[in-house]
This record gives sequence, C-alpha cells and structure tokens, in this order.
Amino acid sequence: MNPEVPNPNRVLVIDDSESIHKLVVARLRPEGLEVLGEFDGELGIERAVADQPDLILLDIGLPNVDGFEVCRRLKEHASTRNIPIIFLTGTTDTESKVRGLDLGAVDYVTKPFDQVELRARVRAALRTKRLQDILEQQSFLDGLTGLWNRSYLDRRLESELNVARRYGRPLTLVLADVDHFKRVNDSFGHLFGDIVLQGIAEGLRAYARRSDIVARYGGEEFAVLLTDTNLRAAMFVSERLRSSAENRHFEARSEVVSVTASFGVACSEDLGADLTPEELIRAADVALYASKDAGRNCVHLYRDGDLILTTGDPDALGPEDQEGA
Amino acid sequence: MRLHRDTGLKRSREGAAMGPIRSAYEEDPDMLEIVREFAHELPARIAKLETLVAGCEHAALQTLAHQLKGAGGGYGFGQITEAAALLEQALKSGAAEPQIKDRAAELCAILRAVVVPETR
Repeated sequence: MNPEVPNPNRVLVIDDSESIHKLVVARLRPEGLEVLGEFDGELGIERAVADQPDLILLDIGLPNVDGFEVCRRLKEHASTRNIPIIFLTGTTDTESKVRGLDLGAVDYVTKPFDQVELRARVRAALRTKRLQDILEQQSFLDGLTGLWNRSYLDRRLESELNVARRYGRPLTLVLADVDHFKRVNDSFGHLFGDIVLQGIAEGLRAYARRSDIVARYGGEEFAVLLTDTNLRAAMFVSERLRSSAENRHFEARSEVVSVTASFGVACSEDLGADLTPEELIRAADVALYASKDAGRNCVHLYRDGDLILTTGDPDALGPEDQEGA
Repeated sequence: MRLHRDTGLKRSREGAAMGPIRSAYEEDPDMLEIVREFAHELPARIAKLETLVAGCEHAALQTLAHQLKGAGGGYGFGQITEAAALLEQALKSGAAEPQIKDRAAELCAILRAVVVPETR
C-alpha cells in the first residue's frame, strides 16, 4: 500500500433498484469514493456492521425492512451509530423527511437526484464525519503524554477480550507504576514530575511493539495491552519496557535523576474462559503489587494464582515445551 | 425510428405516435454506458408494467412506478419521472381503474419512445 495515498472513503448504498446503484456509482466516481451496495435492508445492516463504511445512502422503500427501520437499527447499534446516513429516496413528502432526519439521518435527498447536489451533500457529510472522528480520537488521548487514556483502554480491553475469546487467542495486560513518584514530585516539583511521566511514556511507546496499545491508566500508572501475545512473549516485552524506564535519565537543577517502574503482567489464557476485563486488570494489579513488595524496578507475572518474578531470571517460567504452545 | 419533430412534446395514448426520447446525458462519457443498459432493459419493464396493469396488481405496480420515477430523471429521462410520478400518485390516492390504466398507458408510450444511444 502506498502510504501517501489515503484510503478512499467508502459509501454503502442500500437500495432495491439496480438502476440506482449503477447511477450512484457513475455519479460519485468523480469524488474518488469506493461504492459498496446492498439491495435489502437486513443485508444492508449486516454489511454496515461488517465493513464500517464512512457514509450510507439509504432508500426508504425497501423489501422486508424499510429504510426508516434500517436507520433506527443502525443508530441503535454501537458500531454503526456514528456512520452518517443520507436518505436517498423517491418519497418526497415532508412527513417522511422529518421522520428520517429525526431518526438520526444527516440529510435527505429526493430521487431523481441532481448529481452535482448529491456530490456536494456527500462531501459535506464526509467532512463532518472526519471532524467527528478527530474529536472522538482526541477524547481518547491523554493530554500530558499523548498516549491513549483510560477510557480508551477500557473500551479496547473489552473488545479485544471478545476477539481473544472468539478466536482462542491470548491477550496480555501489562500494568506499570512509576516507583517513588511522590518523592520525585516532592523533591523536584510537579512540573518535573510531568516531564518524568512524559519521558516514561515516550520510552513505553518506543519499546512497545507496533500492535501494542499503550495507555496512561491514571496518575503515574501506565497500561500496555498486548494482543495475540502469551505470557512468555509478554515477559520479554515487559522486561524491555522496564529497562527503557530504568535507562532514561532526567535533569533537574543540574542533578541527574533516574526513575524506575514496577510491572505486573497477566494473560487471558491463564484466567478462564469467562474472564472479565476487571478480573484481568485485578490479576495484573496483584502482580504489580508483588513487584512493589519485592523492592520495585522488576516484573512479576501472574500465572495460575502464582506470582513469578522474572527480572534477572528469564528462565523463571520454565522450559517452553511444557506449555504445549 | 422516424423522427416526428412536431409531436415530441405531445402526450399520447398507447400506440399513438410519439417522437423519440433521448437521454439528456448521452453525451456524458460517465453515463453513456449505463444509459444504454437502462434503455436496453426498458422492454422488460414495459412487459412487466403491462402484466401488472392487466392483473390489477396495484401494490407491485406502485413499486415499479416509484422506481421508474426515481431512476428516470437520473438517467436523463425527465419524462419517465413525470409520467411515473403521475401513475404512482393515482395508485396512492386510490384513483379509479380507468385513470390508472390511462396513466400506465402514457408511461408505457414514453418508455417505448426511448432511444438507445449509440456507443462512441
């Protein structure tokens, strides 16, 4: 894929008439959009959930489920709620227009449509969608460190746990807490504390893998979600993250300050099929406290109720073949 | 088809003379191909329309009229949209059978007069 060419926006057309599908494809071509199509309301909803288009053009007179009902259900569904809907319909009475817009559609265009007008309305809807996406993303970022924030992590944790369960893949959570952070703040001031948090965040981001989700979990606590990663693989990642913190130095009033962090790791594989996000967090937290109790600046893994210290002992988990992995 | 320059605008009963109807978009390279397809499919739609009228299947007829109303103008055939809208309106308002037959016949006449554009 060429990184300089952004993915084209995708528009889903739900209309029972083949003539309209062809017409919309021809008329939206100059916009460089990818047009998907469904002829039935029920299939239209499924397609929207599966393909997450950027915009939906929705007819009203559809077989089985009409366009109003399709709109209502798309707005009810969390995964499709934010996809803008433009009604594109031959139904021209005011009552239907009001009903469609009140159901959450952003616009209402009647057929036969003016091609120039349709393109302008599509552009307007996509513009608003883009801004909405940016706002939503910003609401999930931590202002100080630029990492994901806790509400994003909670959301991802829940959806990644579902994915892990469905496909039988391991999901691992790493919690990290900066050691003696209160002392740093008290000695050098809160502004310096902020610089430390930013530096630790930078290290976590730099040493995590591309697929890992790095978040500031609160105060001086961080969380890293490792998808498709078992405890053994997570151990190596966590050790790398721990040393990234240890090796970072900060300057305060011509003094060089070193900061360390303690880590706790738990994996969905060891915690049962009905694992909840809270249980995974609790297990990682217990391991994190074991690291604090063991003198800080180390990593503990939670496995089958045991807490295993791995810092300085990469063989602590035992030989690999015993796990049958 | 022969050109009847003078009668092009005249609405007529089925079978009466009507000038050829061309798409307003047949010069548009984005549209030519799908206008041709649309025009090619019209005989099948005419047949369906006539069957539905003969069988007094008003619900299905209304759906077909609604679709032609929505698509016609988009393909550059404003007259199809107008005639289909009149038929849809008659069906929606529960007009008498002779009026429905009249409007269906007018729509069929217009569909028959559509000229398939040549490829370039």
